[in-house]
Amino acid sequence: MVEDGIDAIFEPKSVMLIGASRATKNEVVLPSIFFRSLAHNMLRFFKGKIYVIDLSGRLGAGGKSPKLPKKLDLAVLVLPPNLALKHLRKLVGGRVKAVVVISGGYGREQLERLARVTVRRGIRVLGPNATPGVLNTSNGLCATIERGTMPKRGGVAVISQGEGLGAAMLDWACFHGISISKFASVGDKVDIDEADLIDYLSRDRGARVICIYMEETVRGGRKFFNAVREAAKRKPVVALSRNMAKVTVEQAPPWRGEILDAVLRQAGAVRARDFEEFFDAAIALAKQPPMQGNRVAVLSNAFGPAVLAAEALQREGLTLAKLSDETTKQIKKKYPDADGGNLICMTAAAKADCYEFVLKHVLDDPGVDGAMVINMLKSCLLEPDEVKVVADVAKKFSNKPVVDVPMGGEDYVLVSDVLKDTDIPTYSLPERGARALRALYLYGQIKKKVEM
Amino acid sequence: MAVDKKRIAEILASARKQGRLGLLEHEAKQVLAAWGVPVARTELAGDAAEAVRIARELRYPVVMKIASPDIVHKSDAGGVRVGLSSELEVRQAFDEIVANARAYKPDANILGVVVQEYLPQAMEVIIGTLQDPSFGATVMFGLGGVWVEVLKDVSFRLAPLDAGDAREMIQEIKGHPVLMGVRGEPQADIGALIDILQKVGRLAHEFPGIAEMDLNPVFLFERGKGAIAIDARIILGEGAHG
Repeated sequence: MVEDGIDAIFEPKSVMLIGASRATKNEVVLPSIFFRSLAHNMLRFFKGKIYVIDLSGRLGAGGKSPKLPKKLDLAVLVLPPNLALKHLRKLVGGRVKAVVVISGGYGREQLERLARVTVRRGIRVLGPNATPGVLNTSNGLCATIERGTMPKRGGVAVISQGEGLGAAMLDWACFHGISISKFASVGDKVDIDEADLIDYLSRDRGARVICIYMEETVRGGRKFFNAVREAAKRKPVVALSRNMAKVTVEQAPPWRGEILDAVLRQAGAVRARDFEEFFDAAIALAKQPPMQGNRVAVLSNAFGPAVLAAEALQREGLTLAKLSDETTKQIKKKYPDADGGNLICMTAAAKADCYEFVLKHVLDDPGVDGAMVINMLKSCLLEPDEVKVVADVAKKFSNKPVVDVPMGGEDYVLVSDVLKDTDIPTYSLPERGARALRALYLYGQIKKKVEM
Repeated sequence: MAVDKKRIAEILASARKQGRLGLLEHEAKQVLAAWGVPVARTELAGDAAEAVRIARELRYPVVMKIASPDIVHKSDAGGVRVGLSSELEVRQAFDEIVANARAYKPDANILGVVVQEYLPQAMEVIIGTLQDPSFGATVMFGLGGVWVEVLKDVSFRLAPLDAGDAREMIQEIKGHPVLMGVRGEPQADIGALIDILQKVGRLAHEFPGIAEMDLNPVFLFERGKGAIAIDARIILGEGAHG
């Protein structure tokens, strides 16, 4: 836990939810649906105290508002601006440490009023428009409007600027079993901004990697730059930024996107080129050590996938490791049929003992910085359970990353299920594995630079 | 070369006082020179006789360009003459440039002609700065000509930058191998380039009133032979000072 005003956002012991579960005559329906989802999520997952303030009087303590304690940690609001401001003054002032305003629609003057009743009274605020919300897998805080969307617990912390993408990220994480520590959408930043969250997460032990999705540039540029730079010294920061200048219809200032991109690079963030790479890189960085050099060994029980891997590695600026004569000799001695060239192809008959022996000797080779292990099940004798040896061997090499590629569809599902609770990240294609290794290499380079 | 901040502040203030946000070429070069950035020596001549005096001082051959706050694209206005090697040529060039400029833009305020020392052709690079509304001073780098104009092959960094940042932004562009020497060409003076990138970044950072700077082209010679800004443009920010 980090001593910080922001702490009450992520680590509250008690939370009040304010909204209306049924729309009254003059209101739009959407906020009431969102409020019901929020209440549902919190009641289902959150381990602390919950007080539901339903302005339409249906949810909560038998249709009545619960008796509120004098002090609470957090209030989460899903209400149109005018109602939110009214109830913030009435219910929240003096009672809570922090507020999350999920709903948006605030004009300039309303933002000012929001700041007056909260920030100026020492209450930290996330939002407004912090859609889809906030999440912490370690205490079950699921203050989002995405019904039932609770990823599994793990080391990937996510900050999102975009509402639509935020929801997509949560969905993706749940569906693909990506382990998340915390998630927050920054919204309109009346108080807490990207830099505050990066700073907080960089000191949060639960976050092994910080991911930030950027849809627009930031207001306090230098504060953001410094936050990323400091965070990158402690843990990897992965950034996906939209190149605003090229896609927006409205006239963006020239080079805006390129400048943001350069800032992220200069500050030491690993920049993902697309959404898939964003999480592929994050998972690798959360589970594996940075790669010290760019020499990757490819081990495979089939030739074709290994060739694709070699090409993909080259595209990512990595090279195939050249094994020492000694390593090749040892592999050949025990497994004469294995091809100990640049691509280490074991035969289709390779079993766990072969993977174990070869991977150990390959990682022992000083000419190898990391490895991609490919294990096909189809047309091969390997059984899914045997792939566990990859994790067992890799564990003994704390500074050489290993990624696993059970190439294909069904093979991937079977093997990734065996490895899911280990530190070995799995990718369905060699190209994705190569991009993950690139991220590990980039972070290795960044670490060298900041430690200089 | 010593840095002369006071001189820079004076040049910027004088342009503002005259209601100009764009510095004239010789002013922009004076700013850069006062900051220790190597620039082609360039002086303003109000008449042909003065142009001849400056040309002698700089040594023939010289380059001459129109000096007017109202003419940005000097070549389009017929306002550039190169390789002038005698008093006669300089006198003729002065009259022609001024006449062309008047024809091109009759209401232009023409201050005269700048006379610039001639430098042997070299690899051309572009160095610029921009004040980003959020991040402040940033430095841009690219290779000259089609590389920037067509391929948009540029890199950016926040200023001020350390030598590592400057090196990275040089390595980041796709045309980087060209700088390292291709087809038998010698390697360019990367050290001199790093030095200019850092200096220009520091200048933009310390004078946020400079909204935009454009050193285009910068001649980059082979290793050990340095680099020098041939043309320079500085635009001040509206309302901003410093």
